Amino acid sequence: MYYEKKELKKGITIHQINTNKFKTNLFSVFLAIPLERENVTKNALIAAVLRRGTQNLKSQDEISKKLEEMYGASFDCGIEKTGDNHILKFYLESISEEFLPEKEELSKKCLQILFDIILNPLIENDGFKEEYIESEKRNLKQIIESKIDNKRIYSLERCIEEMFKDSPYGLYKYGYVEDLEKINAKDLYKYYKELISRCKIDIFASGTIENLDIYKIIEENEQIAKLKERTPEYIVNKQKAEKINEKEERIVEEHLNVGQGNLVLGLKVNDDKENGKYIASVYNAILGGGANSKLFQNVREKESLAYTAGSNYKRQKDAIFIRCGIEIDKYEKALNTIKVQLTDMKEGKFSEEDINNAKQLINSSIKSINSEQDTEITYYYGQELSEQFVRIEEYMKKIEEVSKNDIEHLANSTFIDTIYFLRN
Amino acid sequence: MNILESKKIKEKAYLEKLDNGMTVIIIPKPNLDKKYIIWGTHFGSIDNRFIMPKTGEEVFIPDGVAHFLEHKMFEQPNGTNSLDTLMALGLDANAYTTNDHTAYLFECTDNFYEGLDELMDYVQHPYFTDENVEKEKGIIAQEIKMYDDEPGWRLYMNAMDCMYKENPIKIDIAGSVESINKITPDVLYKCYNTFYNPSNMIMAVCGDFKPEELLQEIKKRLIPKEEQGKITRIYPEKEMTINKPYKEDKMEVSIPLFAIGYKDIEGMDNEKDIVKKHIAIEILLNMIIGKSSENYKKLYEAGELLAEPDLDYEFSKEYAHVVISGKSKNPQVIKNAVENTVEEFKNKGLNEEHFDRIRKKVYGDYVVEYNSVGNIARMFLADNIKGINSFDYIEEFNSVTKKYTEEILKNVFKSENMILSVINCK
Repeated sequence: MYYEKKELKKGITIHQINTNKFKTNLFSVFLAIPLERENVTKNALIAAVLRRGTQNLKSQDEISKKLEEMYGASFDCGIEKTGDNHILKFYLESISEEFLPEKEELSKKCLQILFDIILNPLIENDGFKEEYIESEKRNLKQIIESKIDNKRIYSLERCIEEMFKDSPYGLYKYGYVEDLEKINAKDLYKYYKELISRCKIDIFASGTIENLDIYKIIEENEQIAKLKERTPEYIVNKQKAEKINEKEERIVEEHLNVGQGNLVLGLKVNDDKENGKYIASVYNAILGGGANSKLFQNVREKESLAYTAGSNYKRQKDAIFIRCGIEIDKYEKALNTIKVQLTDMKEGKFSEEDINNAKQLINSSIKSINSEQDTEITYYYGQELSEQFVRIEEYMKKIEEVSKNDIEHLANSTFIDTIYFLRN
Repeated sequence: MNILESKKIKEKAYLEKLDNGMTVIIIPKPNLDKKYIIWGTHFGSIDNRFIMPKTGEEVFIPDGVAHFLEHKMFEQPNGTNSLDTLMALGLDANAYTTNDHTAYLFECTDNFYEGLDELMDYVQHPYFTDENVEKEKGIIAQEIKMYDDEPGWRLYMNAMDCMYKENPIKIDIAGSVESINKITPDVLYKCYNTFYNPSNMIMAVCGDFKPEELLQEIKKRLIPKEEQGKITRIYPEKEMTINKPYKEDKMEVSIPLFAIGYKDIEGMDNEKDIVKKHIAIEILLNMIIGKSSENYKKLYEAGELLAEPDLDYEFSKEYAHVVISGKSKNPQVIKNAVENTVEEFKNKGLNEEHFDRIRKKVYGDYVVEYNSVGNIARMFLADNIKGINSFDYIEEFNSVTKKYTEEILKNVFKSENMILSVINCK
């Protein structure tokens, strides 16, 4: 396996991951732009409209047919928040050429289609096709409204929204219904051209690509050749947490027709130490990382209060989210049990064994990054956005170096920001 | 060991039936760091009535026992929990229960043999007490309530209710809060002693291994167990019709959910052709309402569908059905579109070019399955329980002709066996 990156033009980077572990080649393009209320809805709509048709393949149906002929190559696109950036993601996966029943230049075709979808959309009267805009607006409206359908995800989203109320990260990645109505085909196309000329572009190719001159294929692509160099405006994900003052915790309760209560606690990690992100990872793993974490052991196994109990660390935002599904009338008891765990962390009531378990958990997932194509791409893209290159070995070493003192120190500068409870 | 091979995708599987009756399948992946092991027993939520081979006693158990047993297997007499022990080794461990099997697994990069010690130790040593069984009821009750709030799960269970009258596939895998309250250590031991006999178990491992060496390591860790006779499972008689064509529920959702089902009465009756049949059904489903179908195009443009529906064919010896599920404000419109297309395909035959294109796509989908060690091991386990060699999906692919697929269309997609389950907005 080797990883190599090369700048094609300023602001446009090609990343190659040559690996023979998979039956497929995966190509992806990421467009990054700062999260802004004004543009979130437009960005989400653009991702949806682009997959509807290109100048060459004028409808979704033509695109699908083309991909099916290519042994079920699959296209996917999505929209995500990474730190304070909004990322439009496009993927195309196809079988490696060696597993095809007949010889074919699949990779080149794949890249052509992928770039066509992103950079050569179907345009009519100097705007996106009216019909596509209208149906994608309808669809996006439905997607925004369906946030409520999965109560566990909804609860987490709501807690994030409350906790980051006045900052970009609190924005919903799919945007807002009230903004949708104002968008029309012409204006959106104008904004799209601006987006393409301003955003940070990263192109990834992963698979058995050794014998293909990927760089050349990309460079010579007609759509890529048209792109101009740029100074991308994306927000670099910082290595250190920002020091902020502890506030009083805020409690948000919401009522819906549910049988189970969903409790989410948003924690702010307030430690600006060098290597703070690695310390926070270990802290989070001890607190709620897996089956031997404090939350799982106490909230679930000891008190039998929940089936799901754990926590997640959002590295780019220095935040930890504790989540459990509980009996609605056990709210107080569950909250107290969670708080006891947080206090125990502060008082250093965890053993060397707990620390080692946590490190093992993190490092074994780091080690298996290269066993999945999209995970590997996500890892390198994360590094790209933080403008720092940390090899997998180095990452694991930094985790190993975290000490009990470090964790205790971090525990004492971590506090509850928001308590969100979804109940009936 | 027996070697199965797929030349098309350059993969091999080594298979051994041990003296104690257990099946071991090893799929070597020489250049991957990740390893995955799964140990399953042919005991799922539908096995709720059976005769214990040793005593001849007929046992009828409460709903949710297989799943409850899965939770309780991790508990050890010395107070430790094997899930913790495995996680402490840096392994990603888990377990799950389906309609027809229960499986214990872990995934790792290092410490594989330490993990194997623990896995094979805990699965062979049950420890159930009144106290630890009681404690689990609170946890599982929350798991049941989590599923109760999930519209997709309710939709699926209602679809099963439409298709079957008595079949135990209708039972929620986790049971209900009432039924799990009836579970005792005695029931758990009876089920354990019957279904966790090696002759009823299969182990599948995928990763960088030398098959013969690994097989010896597995054998070393097996505890000798007395041979037991065949387990007689008692299921209700086969039902030749559906239960009801329509069921509706209301939940807090933003848009209705639909599941369209075709009950496949014949199911696995013609066992040796099941892989071919499965492939043909997947091709048909994609042709009827897949991403490039006329139907999807029209329904998407009309705003009736937001994304391509999930397409699935589920089968065992006891049940078989097709399920098409998704979201739409007009579930009835989707159902009609599916039904009309099926009739049109029956009358006019399948379009050659469309059929060929979808065949390529479905073939590609099968190849992609071989990207992950977890997928591979789970697939070999689940298929083996049904008596299937997973490579057949690749190797038999070319024998699925248009003519054969048209026959399957006529046999499986019958209007009188069609159902619709809907979750409406509150």
